[in-house]
Amino acid sequence: MREIVSIQVGSFANFVGSHFWNFQDELLGLGSNPESDPVFKNQCLNMDVLYRTGETQQGILTYTPRLVSVDFQGSLGSMSSRGTLYSEGSQAPSDVVTWSGSVSSHASEPHKKNLFLQSLYEEEQESFSMMNGTTRGENDSQREIQDKDIVECLDNGVKFWTDFSKVHYHPQSLYELSGLWTDMQDFDNYGIGRDAFSEGFRGEEMCERLRFFVEDCDHIQGFQFMVDDSGGFSAIAAEFLENIADEYANTPVLLYAVRSPGSYMNLKSQKQTIFRKLHDAVSFSRLASFSKLIVPLGLPFLSESKASTYLRIENDKPYHTSAVYAAALHSTTLPFRMEPVGPIADSFDVSGAVEINDFVQMLAGQARQNTVAILDVAMPAPTLNGKQGEKSLLGNLQPLTPEVAEDAEDFQAVESMVVHGALGSDGHRASISEVKDTVNGIYENAITRPMFCHLSVARCPLPIPLPFPSIFGNFVGQHGELLSTPIVSGSFSRGSIDVHSIPMAVRLRSSSAILPFLENRLVNLRRFGLERGALGSELLRNWGFEKDELYDIGETMSKMVSALNPDLQLSSEDSD
Amino acid sequence: MSLRVLNPNAEVLNKSAALHMNINAAKGLQDVLKTNLGPKGTIKMLVGGAGDIKLTKDGNTLLKEMQIQNPTAIMIARTAVAQDDISGDGTTSTVIFIGELMKQSERYIDEGMHPRVLVDGFEIAKRATLQFLEKFKTPVVMGDEPDKEILKMVARTTLRTKLYESLADQLTDIVVNAVLCIRKPEEAIDLFMVELMHMRHKFDVDTRLVEGLVLDHGSRHPDMKRRAENCYILTCNVSLEYDKSEINAGFFYSNAEQREAMVAAERHQVDERVKKIIELKNKVCSGNDNNFVVINQKGIDPPSLDLLARAGIIALRRAKRRNMERLVLACGGEAVNSVDDLTPDCLGWAGLVYEHVLGEEKYTFVENVKNPHSCTILIKGPNDHTIAQIKDAVRDGLRAVKNTIEDEAVVLGAGAFEVAARQYLVNEVKKTVQGRAQLGIEAFADALLVVPKTLAENAGLDTQDVIIALKGEHDRGNIVGLNQHSGDPIDPQMEGIFDNYSVKRQIINSGPVIASQLLLVDEVIRAGRNMRKPT
Ligand SMILES: Nc1ncnc2c1ncn2[C@@H]1O[C@H](COP(=O)(O)OP(=O)(O)OP(=O)(O)O)[C@@H](O)[C@H]1O
Ligand SMILES: [Mg+2]
Repeated sequence: MREIVSIQVGSFANFVGSHFWNFQDELLGLGSNPESDPVFKNQCLNMDVLYRTGETQQGILTYTPRLVSVDFQGSLGSMSSRGTLYSEGSQAPSDVVTWSGSVSSHASEPHKKNLFLQSLYEEEQESFSMMNGTTRGENDSQREIQDKDIVECLDNGVKFWTDFSKVHYHPQSLYELSGLWTDMQDFDNYGIGRDAFSEGFRGEEMCERLRFFVEDCDHIQGFQFMVDDSGGFSAIAAEFLENIADEYANTPVLLYAVRSPGSYMNLKSQKQTIFRKLHDAVSFSRLASFSKLIVPLGLPFLSESKASTYLRIENDKPYHTSAVYAAALHSTTLPFRMEPVGPIADSFDVSGAVEINDFVQMLAGQARQNTVAILDVAMPAPTLNGKQGEKSLLGNLQPLTPEVAEDAEDFQAVESMVVHGALGSDGHRASISEVKDTVNGIYENAITRPMFCHLSVARCPLPIPLPFPSIFGNFVGQHGELLSTPIVSGSFSRGSIDVHSIPMAVRLRSSSAILPFLENRLVNLRRFGLERGALGSELLRNWGFEKDELYDIGETMSKMVSALNPDLQLSSEDSD
Repeated sequence: MSLRVLNPNAEVLNKSAALHMNINAAKGLQDVLKTNLGPKGTIKMLVGGAGDIKLTKDGNTLLKEMQIQNPTAIMIARTAVAQDDISGDGTTSTVIFIGELMKQSERYIDEGMHPRVLVDGFEIAKRATLQFLEKFKTPVVMGDEPDKEILKMVARTTLRTKLYESLADQLTDIVVNAVLCIRKPEEAIDLFMVELMHMRHKFDVDTRLVEGLVLDHGSRHPDMKRRAENCYILTCNVSLEYDKSEINAGFFYSNAEQREAMVAAERHQVDERVKKIIELKNKVCSGNDNNFVVINQKGIDPPSLDLLARAGIIALRRAKRRNMERLVLACGGEAVNSVDDLTPDCLGWAGLVYEHVLGEEKYTFVENVKNPHSCTILIKGPNDHTIAQIKDAVRDGLRAVKNTIEDEAVVLGAGAFEVAARQYLVNEVKKTVQGRAQLGIEAFADALLVVPKTLAENAGLDTQDVIIALKGEHDRGNIVGLNQHSGDPIDPQMEGIFDNYSVKRQIINSGPVIASQLLLVDEVIRAGRNMRKPT
C-alpha cells in the first residue's frame, strides 16, 4: 500500500471533493455493514491509501481523509474548520484566560444545520447511545419519509459544500484563507489570486498542513490535486504546487482542473471576454507546468452534453454538476488503491492495479510527452451484453474535458480505462474476466485503436449515498442498469432513494483530440497578450507577468501543441 | 463581522458625496478599533457562523477577521496591514489616527475649506513631527551586550496591551531572551530563527523558552528510544525512501523479473545511504554511550527505519525546511544534502532529546544544546483561539525587541509623545506658516491627541480632564503620559512605558498619506476597485 494525499483548492473543487469523500465514506460504511451486498464487503480496495488512522487526545481512534482543502473564509457553512472528531471538549468558550480587562463578543448569524446534517447528528447520538445499551425507538417506515425530506431539502437548499457532506474531517484538513471571504466578488482572475498565497502566513500554513499528512505517510505514491481554476484559486494552487514541486520533488502530482458551468457565464463586454481568455491561457499553462499530468474538467453546458445522456442536471447547481465530476474522479482513482494480488495475477474482485507514478508515466511519459489528458465517462456504464454492449460502451464514454475534437484519429493515443460494477446481460454483476473480454473485443473491432490501453476492472460499483443529488434520468434502474422503457413516476429525476448504485466506466486519454483546447489557449495568449499592441498586454502586466515570462509560456504551449501535431507549424513570427 | 457602510460598487459618486463617504468610512473603522487600544482596551471575541472562535486584541488581526466591503475602509485596512508587515505593531493607532485626521478635516471642510489646503498643512505637519520625533526619542546604545532592562521594558509595554499582567510579564523575559539568543553581532535579526510551537493542553496556560528546538513530530519506529541523552544530531536532506525512478517504456510489466530486479536495485541504493549513516554512527558512538539522532527533511520509509532502529539510531522524517537551518543554529554541525562525504564534523550536539505524546500529536524536544543561535517558544493553551492569541502577542513582543535593537532608540509611551508633538506643532510650527495651511497643521496636531484620548476613554477616565492635565504639564516642560488607573500625569520613563521608535515613525508617515488620498477624493474613486494597480 502506498498513500495518496489529496488537495482541494477553491470552491468548485471542494464541491467535487465533498461528493468524492461521500463516496468513500459510503464504501467504508457498506464494507463494514454485515447486511450489505457482498460486492461491497469484498471491495479489495485499500482505503488506507486515502485515509489515515489517528487518535484524539481522549484516546478515541479516528479514520479521516488525508486531505488538505483550501477555500474562502466562511465557506464551511455550519461545519467547524476543526471538524467534529477532535472537539475541544466542554471548555466554555466564553472563558477568556488571557485577558483580565473587558471582553466584547461579536457573533455572526449562526448557520443552521439543514435537515440532512441534523439527521446525521441524531444518528450519531443514537449510535452512541446504542453503544451504551439503549435501544433505538425509530422504525423503518418513519425513516423512509425522513430520507425523502432530506433529499428534497438538499435539492432545494445546498449553499455550501458542507451542507451535503457526511464525512468526518481531520482538524488539519479544512483550511480557510483568512481575509478572503466567500462572497468576495472579483476573485475571478489569475492576477487577483497571485499574492493571496503569500500574504500573511497563508502559504506557510498551507504547506504545514500538507506536511502533517505527508509525514504521516510511510511511502507516499503521489498527490491528487483538484483545483477550481476558473478564478483566483488557480494562482493560489499554482503557488502551492510550486512549493510542492520544490519540497517533494519525486512525488508525482496528478492534477484535475475543475470548473462549474457557472464559471462560463456569458460575459457582457468584449473586455471581459478577453480577460477570461487570457485567464484561461495563463492559468492553464502555470498549472500544467507544475504537474506530471493535468486533466481539465468542466463543460460549459454539462446538462446538454452527451456525457449527461442519462442524467438530469441543472447547470446552475454546483451541487448537481460537481456530483458528475466526483463520480468520474472516484472511478479514475480506483486503480491506485486496488490490492495487488501478485505482479500479474488478478484477484476475483479487482484487476489492473497501478500506482500514480506508473499511471502518469504511462499516459504522459510516452514518446510525445503529452501531459494533458482527456477524461471520458459513461455514467452509468451500459450493460455488457454481446455485440451491442461493446458498441454502446465506447459510444457512451463521453468527454468531461471541454474543447476536445470529436473525431480525432490518433494512432499514438494512450488510454487508461476503468470499468467497475459493470452489469452483464441478465443483470448479474459481470466478472472481471467478462469485462476484460468485452473491452478487449471492443478494441479489436474498433476502427481507430489507440496505441496502448491499460484496463482496470473492479466488481464494486459506485455506491450512491443518501446526500447524492437527484440527477438520474428515468432510464436508470435501481442498480444503475439502463432500462429500455422509462420508469414512470411523479418526478422526472431519480436520486439516491431510487438508485442505490451504478456501474461506471471512465477513460483517461492522452490524445491529439486535446489539440483544440491547447490551440485555443495558445492563440488567445498570442492574440490578446503577446502581439504588438495586444489588448490584454497591460492586463497581464497587472497580473504580474513580465514579457519574458509570457514568451516562455507561449513557447511552452506551442511545444505542447506541436508535440501532438507535428504537421502543423503555428507561426510565431508575427507575435513580437 | 461585516462592515457595509455603502454600496461598494458605486463607482460614480459626486465629489462631495464621495468625500463624505470616505470620512464616514474612516470614522466607522475608527469606532470599531478604538476600544482595542492600550492596556485597558477591550479584547474581542468573534464567533463565526459555525461557532468557531477567534480572540483578538490586535488591530491587525481584527481587521483581517472583518469582512470589509467598503473600498475606503479596505484602503485604510491595507495601510494598517502594511504597518504590521513593516514594524509589527501600531495598527490600532494607525487606523484611529487616520480616522481622527478625517474627523478633524470634516469640521473645516463643512465650513467650506478646500481639502487641498488641509492636505498641504498635513504635509508640513508630518515633516515637522518626524523631525520632532528625532529629538524626542530616547537613544539606546546597543553594544555587544544590549541593555536588557530597556529591552524588557519595551517588550513588557507591548505584551501588557495584549495579555493580562502576570502572563505578559512571564512572556517578557522569554521574548527578550529568545531574541538575544538568535542575535548575531553585525547581522540583521531573523525572527524566523525563533520557532513558535504550541500544544493544546486542557488546563494549562503556560509558555516557556526552550533553548534548542521543539519539532512537531516524532520518530516513526516502535523500537526507537523515546528519550536519549548526549546525542549527536545529523541534520540532513536525503531521501531515505525508495523512489521509483522513471520507468522507461517497459511499463507493461510483461517481464515481472525485470521489474523486480529494478526494484531491488533501487532498494539497494537506499540501503546504501542508510548504511553510510550507520557507519558514521558507529564511528562516533563506539566506546561511549552517546546517542545518535537523524533529522531528515525528506522521507524515511519503513525498511530504512528498521535498519536505523536496529543500529540504535533515532530518526525523524519530513522535518520542516526551516528547521534544517534552525537545527544547525541550535546544535551546530551542518545540514547535509548527501551522505557521500559524511564526517563527524557534520554532526551537531544536544544533551537531551526526548519525545512527548499527546493523543496522536507527538513532539520531539532537542534540548541542552551548547551555544544555541536558535530557540523555540513553546505555548500551551486550552484551545486554539487562546493559543492563537498568545502566539500573536508573542510575535508582537519579539518584533518589539528586534525593533529596539535595530532602531537603537525608543519613544516614551502612554501618550507622552503625542501630547508633546501636538504642543510642538501648535506652539512652534504653526506660526512659521502663512495663512490657511495653519489650519491643516492644527487639524493634524489635534488628531495626534486621539491616542491619549482613547487611552483615557478605554480606562474609563474623563478625556477632557486628562488632556488638559497632560497639556498643562507639557507646557511646564514636563514630559508626561497618562496613568491608566488614575488619569494623572506620570513619567513614562519612571514607569518603563516605552514604544518602538520605528512603529511611531511609520504611523506618523502613513497616516497623513492615506488621509490625504481620501480627502483628494477624485483620485481615489477613479482608482475604484482596482487598487492593486502599480503606481
Ligand atoms: N501602561 C500603559 N499606560 C498607558 N498607555 C500605555 C501603556 N502601555 C502601552 N500604552 C500605550 O498604548 C498604545 C499601544 O496600544 P496597542 O498596542 O493596543 O495598540 P497599537 O500598538 O496601536 O496597535 P496593535 O498593537 O493593535 O497593532 C501606545 O500608545 C502605548 O504608549
Ligand atoms: Mg501594540
